[in-house]
Amino acid sequence: MGRAIEAGHDFVQRQSRSSLYDRGRQNRHKNETRMQQKPPDQRACKSRRRGSETMSHIELPAPDSAIVARREAIVADLVALVGAGTVVADEDGRRAFETDALTAYRCMPLAVVLPRTTDEVSRVLRYCYENNVRVVPRGAGTSLCGGALPAEDAIVIGVSKMNRVIEIDYEARFARVEAGITNLAISAAVSERGYFYAPDPSSQLACTLAGNIAMNSGGAHCLKYGVTTNNILGVRMVLITGEVVDIGGAHLDADGYDLLGLVVGSEGQFGIVTEATVRIIRAAEGARPMLIGFGSSEQAGRCVSAIIASGIIPVAIEFMDKPAIDVCESFAHAGYPLDVEALLIVEVEGSEAEIEGFLAQIRDIAAPFGPTHVMISNGPIQSAKIWKGRKSAFGAIGRISDYYCMDGTIPLSRLPQVLTSISAICARHGLKVANIFHAGDGNLHPLILYNANDPAESERAEIAGAEILTLCVEVGGCLTGEHGVGIEKRDLMRVQFSDVDLALQMRIKAAFDPAWLLNPGKVFPLDAAGGGLGQAA
Amino acid sequence: MQTNFTPEQLADPRIAEADRILRRCVHCGLCTAVCSTYVVVGDERDSPRGRIYLIKDMFERGRDATREVQHHVDRCLSCLSCMTTCPGGVDYMHLVDHARVHIAETGQRGLKDRLMRRLLAAVVPDPKRFRLALKAAPLGRPFLPIMRRLGLKELAAMLEIAPSTLPPPSRFEGPGTAVPQGERRARVIMLAGCAQQVLRPEINDATIRLLARRGVDVVVANGAGCCGALTHHMGEEEQALTAARRNVDAWTREIERAPVDAIVINASGCGTTVKDYGYMLRLDPAYAEKAKVVSALTKDVTEFVAGYDLGPPKRWSSLRVAYHSACSLQHGQRVTDEPKALLLAAGYTVLDVPEGHICCGSAGTYNIMQPELARELRDRKVKNIKSRKPDVIAAGNIGCIMQIASGTDTPIAHSIELLDWAYGGPVPRGLEALEAFVSDVPQPKRDFKAYISS
Amino acid sequence: MSEPLRPAADWELASMIASFASRNQPIEIVGNRTKARVGRPMQTAATITTQSLRGIKLYEPTELVMSAQAGTPLAQIEAELAGNRQMLAFEPIDLGPATGGVAGVQSVGGVFAANLSGPRRVTAGAARDHLIGVKGVNGRSEVFKSGGRVMKNVTGYDIARGLAGSWGTLAVMTELTFKVLPWPESATTLVYAGLPDEFAIELLCAAMGTPYEVSGAAHLSAGLSRRLGHSSLAAAGAALTAVRVENFTQSVAYRKQRLADVLSAYGAPIELDYGETLAFWGELRQLRVLSDMPSCLWRISTSPRNGPKVVAAIRRHMTAEAYYDWSGGLVWLEVPASADAGASDIRRAVAVHGGHATLIRADPQVRSSVDVFQPQTPTLERLTRNLKAAFDPQGILNPGRMYAGV
Repeated sequence: MGRAIEAGHDFVQRQSRSSLYDRGRQNRHKNETRMQQKPPDQRACKSRRRGSETMSHIELPAPDSAIVARREAIVADLVALVGAGTVVADEDGRRAFETDALTAYRCMPLAVVLPRTTDEVSRVLRYCYENNVRVVPRGAGTSLCGGALPAEDAIVIGVSKMNRVIEIDYEARFARVEAGITNLAISAAVSERGYFYAPDPSSQLACTLAGNIAMNSGGAHCLKYGVTTNNILGVRMVLITGEVVDIGGAHLDADGYDLLGLVVGSEGQFGIVTEATVRIIRAAEGARPMLIGFGSSEQAGRCVSAIIASGIIPVAIEFMDKPAIDVCESFAHAGYPLDVEALLIVEVEGSEAEIEGFLAQIRDIAAPFGPTHVMISNGPIQSAKIWKGRKSAFGAIGRISDYYCMDGTIPLSRLPQVLTSISAICARHGLKVANIFHAGDGNLHPLILYNANDPAESERAEIAGAEILTLCVEVGGCLTGEHGVGIEKRDLMRVQFSDVDLALQMRIKAAFDPAWLLNPGKVFPLDAAGGGLGQAA
Repeated sequence: MQTNFTPEQLADPRIAEADRILRRCVHCGLCTAVCSTYVVVGDERDSPRGRIYLIKDMFERGRDATREVQHHVDRCLSCLSCMTTCPGGVDYMHLVDHARVHIAETGQRGLKDRLMRRLLAAVVPDPKRFRLALKAAPLGRPFLPIMRRLGLKELAAMLEIAPSTLPPPSRFEGPGTAVPQGERRARVIMLAGCAQQVLRPEINDATIRLLARRGVDVVVANGAGCCGALTHHMGEEEQALTAARRNVDAWTREIERAPVDAIVINASGCGTTVKDYGYMLRLDPAYAEKAKVVSALTKDVTEFVAGYDLGPPKRWSSLRVAYHSACSLQHGQRVTDEPKALLLAAGYTVLDVPEGHICCGSAGTYNIMQPELARELRDRKVKNIKSRKPDVIAAGNIGCIMQIASGTDTPIAHSIELLDWAYGGPVPRGLEALEAFVSDVPQPKRDFKAYISS
Repeated sequence: MSEPLRPAADWELASMIASFASRNQPIEIVGNRTKARVGRPMQTAATITTQSLRGIKLYEPTELVMSAQAGTPLAQIEAELAGNRQMLAFEPIDLGPATGGVAGVQSVGGVFAANLSGPRRVTAGAARDHLIGVKGVNGRSEVFKSGGRVMKNVTGYDIARGLAGSWGTLAVMTELTFKVLPWPESATTLVYAGLPDEFAIELLCAAMGTPYEVSGAAHLSAGLSRRLGHSSLAAAGAALTAVRVENFTQSVAYRKQRLADVLSAYGAPIELDYGETLAFWGELRQLRVLSDMPSCLWRISTSPRNGPKVVAAIRRHMTAEAYYDWSGGLVWLEVPASADAGASDIRRAVAVHGGHATLIRADPQVRSSVDVFQPQTPTLERLTRNLKAAFDPQGILNPGRMYAGV
């Protein structure tokens, strides 16, 4: 535990508050300073924005200056280990990796390694372990919570080159793949035989399975098929020591402790998963979505409860409010009604006759809630458009504004109240909000619209976001349903967890990574990280 | 995504434009998965998102292009697959164009690279020089191994791609007007093109025949030439704009002479560029309006023909045609259904190619400048095409046709050649062996109207 | 043995654990003792039972969620759910009858602590997949929580899942929150008689590969099917292969027919109606066909299509009756009692084909001399010990029940 305490000590060395004033002064001169060529290290690791980083309430852990000073030597060692073609060391190259899909936070990594094999990952991790170098694992960099945000003293290990399908067993219904494969590529590989991989986060086209495992990603269809953890049978993971362990396999349950259950959702802090065995499922004979529009969000919410109470479990129930509908319709031309306040996309599966039966049943269930618009998809092309609109929603919102995407989950019965409060919170901060979410399981995605080039508005967006998430916890929900904590919600963890809860989680982290080298500065409040380790030691 | 430009920087219209484009990107990463280079190399820097980020940084800092940025922008095929997928509507095409201009102006290319680019820019767009060069190519082939060993991989790639025999020039190279017999329904300008005239002159012939059968006058305007795409993609802005202005002038003269229904282009790579003339020349007061008119009139040949009823085909076949959707057509111009619908109506069995959104690696001169990636993409494309077991491959772009042909024995032709064949034209070059599988459709003695009235 | 301690609140449990921890004394953690004969025998100073932590704390049928205290009898929970036509979709197994106890008395805490999932696990997921929130007390006598009452929750690590299947060695769960699902309106079972194991598993895998959402895929060797309570099936005297379909009435009728068509190569099935289906799978859930003492009982988990291979390899060394579930991925294997319960031959067979084996029923001497749970690689063993230490650094909770020293 000696190393752990040392590492923890680094965590509590936070950027001094007194420097805020100085940075504020720099702000006033930002235009002049930007005109000059800034030395690279000054541009590195500014949370929120270059030149106005004081806006952020989230601090990044202070880098280990000894490691940063040894950068050249470390890069040379890495090149010797895995070859120059696998290491990204120059400034421009590293720049491309300085952020993920949460671009408000950026930090230049020490170096980036893009290995092709488990063995290369193992060699690099062993090196990092022996030299006390931190590591930030990265999949496709699509995290909305800054899960792949680098650190100045850390090496980014990206698994995007490891994207092969290794084995498909239709009889036993599993696929073994390299973890850098994209989510959708797994389904594509087995679709010919009518199978699919169930979790379908909106970014499934691009996000990697490795990232899905780290964040325990969900998606629109997990109402019926579960989230990532329910669909992973085994992983090959490299520990920080470089040891390669196989956890689980092609069989359905764990021997001993459910380490697999802990690894899924560990946000890259336990090890780097390089291979996984996933469950593949035979697809239903058919599936078809219907659109049900309502005059108010409340009616839509009550309709969702009624559908679930009826005993029908649709494969998906998605909710969009008016601002979201407008944007998505203009992108996908899916036939979303533009004259409703709330829209449900309800999808059911089965044979043609079964689908018609289920949809008729749902139509009847919805009737008492006064739907103003009911449309059943007329075929595969329209169905694809309906889903394209939903799955591209975040990007499509980007057409009209910068946005800050929330991911809280609430008990369904609190939906009307929470939606009203979200509107009130955003209105109070002078911000617009679009709501898109997985209604079947209460997983909200309020998108707070703001102007990223306006520091004051950015700050208000962050505050509004924190208020919304706090509200989610207060009504019995949680901070994040499928995106993960990452850097973004780290400092809100105390809203949901006691110090004891956090300390227990941190001891579990230390069980896998005693020196706290993997994905530093994420998940736990920085001060808790120090305190928790103290208790664990 | 947040950007950091000073008001001074934003006063430059190019930077203002880049800022407008960058602000739409939310860095979501969906583009990475469909990017033709990223799927092969799996490296953020070789993805649209990575390039956007590198370009953003380069512009924000207002600095010269570094070798690193240049390397990754050079590796972009401009297949624009990312733009079809981008939910945010990020205008990657114009962003990367701006970056290429900046790189050409400020980058530090090696001597070999510069010479190679200058050579291509001087030879390929000029049919006479290009024909001469291709005739000379076989002489260079014995030196391939030496060239490779000397690191002249681009030169080697060029020699390899060059066809071993050249077809005779087209019967109709223009300038002039092909006037059909009988009823006249439309008048179009056709871009005769540059390299295509030399490599596969039959495409222009087939286009003219197909249009003429429907009563369309086809004009090849005096003074028009290469569309400028080749130099445009090299970032040689002035050369590209010169080509664009020359064509705008030539076509404006034709438009002023008599009404023009469309400017028809049968090489989709060129089509994408001509459709962009309005944008490229937007800052040139003398040309902005004229260029806009030209771009608005421009149509891919299949887009134009799809508006006409071609009637029943003269020949009927059930040949399995794998339709290769050229990136410039499907992503650049968003023309996806028309070519397939036309081939289907002409009696062919049309097959979609798996991973159809990925580039074949041709991409203008990409297969010469980036031979390794281009070869990998070509082989991947050929494998995907072969998985559908086609009799023949159809594509709407000469670059794709040459590139794919270099990697497979399956015959390949332009979609228009296949259409022309079905509607009475000669068998396309390379498909002679398939003629046995095609039968003439018995033609009705009288047309329908005559039958009713009799 | 002295009377077990019965804390009625988590703070009370915490103070009890604290007092044992201060004396460094190990404690046995139990619910209703239905699984007390499973695992390695332990030496403990006292027993703490969750029996007094009783009651359903929350039940929201429209949110498909329930919270209950750990000592709540499963029967009470299932009755409450049935009142709303809902159920625990993972169909918990009851080890009572197979380990010399009675059926129907286990606590909900015990079900999750042992991660016991029944036939429907093959599509619906295991107990661990349904556990979404936990409150508990760890070996440091700290009251903690993880997860919550909402279905999708990735806030912090998934400790609830980590506790499922930990057999009370990491912490004492005091309150559990889990997903529930609607009870199917109808169900039917197609039973094929007389198929050899390999063909039976081939049939089950084929059935699972259809789009008809088969929710039970089991195969009983002839020796076990004779023990069935269902009279006509037992009378067949042959191995039985059963495929269950559950859904709305019309869907069941349609899917059953399509399934029978797909599987027609395996002969004509016996069809069980809804009532018979409930009875048949209910019997399997309680492992009633595996209660032949004093033979030993193993639970083998492997890739579905390897089930018959593992059993065939074992049968070269000993007689064995097999109940395959999960389309072949789970094998309950009854073998004659012996000094090592057949452990070396069984583990060798499993090593060849992948998976793991757990000794569920054997004499205490056997359970203390052979590895009850699958032995681990050194690295996994280290992670296991580290995890144990994270929860219970002094090793006082059910010490050694799963692995020596853990």
